[in-house]
Amino acid sequence: MDKILRINMGAAGGPQVKSESVGSYAGLGGRALTSTIIAKEVPPLCHPLGEDNKLVIAPGLLSGSAAAMSGRISVGCKSPLTGGIKESNAGGMASQMLGRLGVAAIVLEGKPKEGMLYKLSISKDKVEIKPDNSLKMLGNYAVAEKMKAAHGDKVSCISIGQAGEMKLTGASIAFTDMEFRPTRHAGRGGVGAVMGSKGVKVIVVDDTGCPVRSPKDPGKFKEANQNWVAGLRKHAVTGQGLPTYGTNVLTNVINEAGAYPTKNFMWGRFDTCSKISGETQAETENARGGEGSATHGCHRGCVIRCSGTFYDKDGHYLTKQPEYETVWAHGGNCGIDDIDAIAMLDRLDDDFGLDTIEMGAAIGVAMEAGLIQFGDAQGAINLVKEVGQGTPLGRVLGSGAGLTGRVFGVERVPVVKNQALPAYDPRGIQGMGVTYATSTQGADHTAGYAVTANVLGVGGKVNPLKAEGQIELSRNLQIATTAIDATGMCLFIAFAILDQPETFQALLDLINAFTGAKMTGDDVTALGKNILKLEREFNHKAGFTKEQDRLPDFFKKEKLPPHNLTFLVKDSELDQVYNW
Amino acid sequence: MDAETTPRLTLTVTPGSLSRFLPLLGQGFTVQRPAGASVEGFLCRACGIARDYLRERVQTVFLNGKAIDDLAAAMVNDGSTIALSAAMPGLAGAVLRKGGAYAAMRRQISHAGPGDSRAGGPVSVTIKLFNLVARELGPGFLEQGVLIHGASLQDFFRRQDRGFGKIGRAADIDGRPVDFEKVPEIIPGNRLVLLALRPAGPHPG
Ligand code: SF4
Repeated sequence: MDKILRINMGAAGGPQVKSESVGSYAGLGGRALTSTIIAKEVPPLCHPLGEDNKLVIAPGLLSGSAAAMSGRISVGCKSPLTGGIKESNAGGMASQMLGRLGVAAIVLEGKPKEGMLYKLSISKDKVEIKPDNSLKMLGNYAVAEKMKAAHGDKVSCISIGQAGEMKLTGASIAFTDMEFRPTRHAGRGGVGAVMGSKGVKVIVVDDTGCPVRSPKDPGKFKEANQNWVAGLRKHAVTGQGLPTYGTNVLTNVINEAGAYPTKNFMWGRFDTCSKISGETQAETENARGGEGSATHGCHRGCVIRCSGTFYDKDGHYLTKQPEYETVWAHGGNCGIDDIDAIAMLDRLDDDFGLDTIEMGAAIGVAMEAGLIQFGDAQGAINLVKEVGQGTPLGRVLGSGAGLTGRVFGVERVPVVKNQALPAYDPRGIQGMGVTYATSTQGADHTAGYAVTANVLGVGGKVNPLKAEGQIELSRNLQIATTAIDATGMCLFIAFAILDQPETFQALLDLINAFTGAKMTGDDVTALGKNILKLEREFNHKAGFTKEQDRLPDFFKKEKLPPHNLTFLVKDSELDQVYNW
Repeated sequence: MDAETTPRLTLTVTPGSLSRFLPLLGQGFTVQRPAGASVEGFLCRACGIARDYLRERVQTVFLNGKAIDDLAAAMVNDGSTIALSAAMPGLAGAVLRKGGAYAAMRRQISHAGPGDSRAGGPVSVTIKLFNLVARELGPGFLEQGVLIHGASLQDFFRRQDRGFGKIGRAADIDGRPVDFEKVPEIIPGNRLVLLALRPAGPHPG
């Protein structure tokens, strides 16, 4: 990948496209590239929706190659939700295609004339940006259909729905999947609002005529890829658990641990969670049948295939298999135990272009405020529809849990840096709380990569029985997470590389055979640290202090049943996370 | 149906549809066995789960909602709940895994150690089987018969999509045949029911 496409939306005479070489950004991909560009080029104090912010879309380091699992795509900007730096990543087809087109990043910059909406098309021979106001206030599904009609089904789309156009801070960016459905989202941090502020409704990516990216050492690459795939296939999580149940396999287990945030974080258990568990979801999907029902990949090249397709009771396609975080946010967090209603909420979120976690959390807060009752599935569906319609109430909810709490005077608002907490109560799993509090991203659950920390030996070996272990672990986790984010690999590789050293080696071999580098585990660690440092510095300059590295007060004061625990990690301990 | 004894509901189900019942095992079923055992002893000796399976395949074990690392040390008491899961993805999976490097992150929700257990009389224990463990051990338990609260069963049947009746070939309660579709109305909602599944042969007569 040798070029960066810069689209200056504010150029005199209309948006201008410039293709430039990667230059000093060479060798970076995914989060490493998005965060480096943002840290270097965006003034930390700028308005996130203003002309100085930039939206960076970057495929992973190995995207576009034959490496399995390499098709994640990162989106970076200054977040309108948190006010800090943001990286949010997704699956879908665009990453592999951009990789094949040789595009290391698309950078949207400047600000267009008010009221104009654009379509950006990228193919082997040209990059074109044209106004297209016929797309105004269309949902992501309608946009995808229009693009398919215009360009055929071999292209892929990156788009925003109504929420992004309205610049709501809960807005996501959608990426089409293998079936040309806009089901894969860079959800967190309001990245869709930034795309909306740039006036870009859709980016059509067409890699026709572009070959698969070739590795520096094809022989070694092929061998490493075989070992890599074999390692993923033989592990119980990546080879069996995830393909069979998807991420929602966590519902029963987290609930049993008493760490399943229920009814806006009031309880740690949801009595009827088995109705929405991964086990129930998979059996329902299998019984209803249909193409790709319970086991399906979100992009070509995935060998784990944790996703699936959700058909309604009559066998009609409704949405992709909702993920654990979505099922929790719209389910247990709102007291809703109807899997069909949750799937409908997922569909609406995807169509309007909304982060499912932020929306579920906002509705949970609204329920606590008495707007509707906990458990009212139809009421929740109506509220999400209000967001799509852009009613004043809908705009409040679509701006996230933090704003909803302020508007309705709710004290129990589960946000860090104004971003909603995901599906693990930090009073139940305390170490998770350390990561939520101190992450550069706001409360973030993608510490799934985290388990790699042990393999990488980041920060030395940790004695798990020492109390301070939680701080050390969280630090290691964040470094490792950041490093693997840069490779563009899907987060679910984590277990296989933790348990099987030969699989971790296969991953390093894969990267090295492809890039020609001689990366070791230590280099990966150093990369993770560097990125985190850049992100921390950006946040610091944007006005963040250690006071933002805190969980909301109620976690320290309210005991969470059934284990009746508060969050016990001291502020002074939290302040040690970045002392490495 | 006798008001005192536990009714036995036997369902003859079509091949391949036994898995539809597995989510029920995640809600929990009751097992009555002699007291005085560790978690490992209870699961292996009293419930017939192979020791190697428990050690290798079962990666997370909860006793009363707390993840445990030493199955031989934690004791089972009357009213205990034991939940079993195969390996889980993500950080949560790593944190909850027995003996894992991330156990420190759940320090406050770990089971402290041995508890006292009455020797002698039988204890009632709730067992929950999750994910791949339910797939692998569930059919055996279901064929043997599991004690499930009638209300949970009623709710389970009512939530099934239309056409659920098609998966069953026959049903009987205490040996008396009943209409498969009417099962939810017939079973008592206020006490335990012994549910047993019998796979029908591939060629119904
Ligand atoms: S494992 Fe799941 S999230 Fe990861 S690439 Fe495959 S389908 Fe997508």
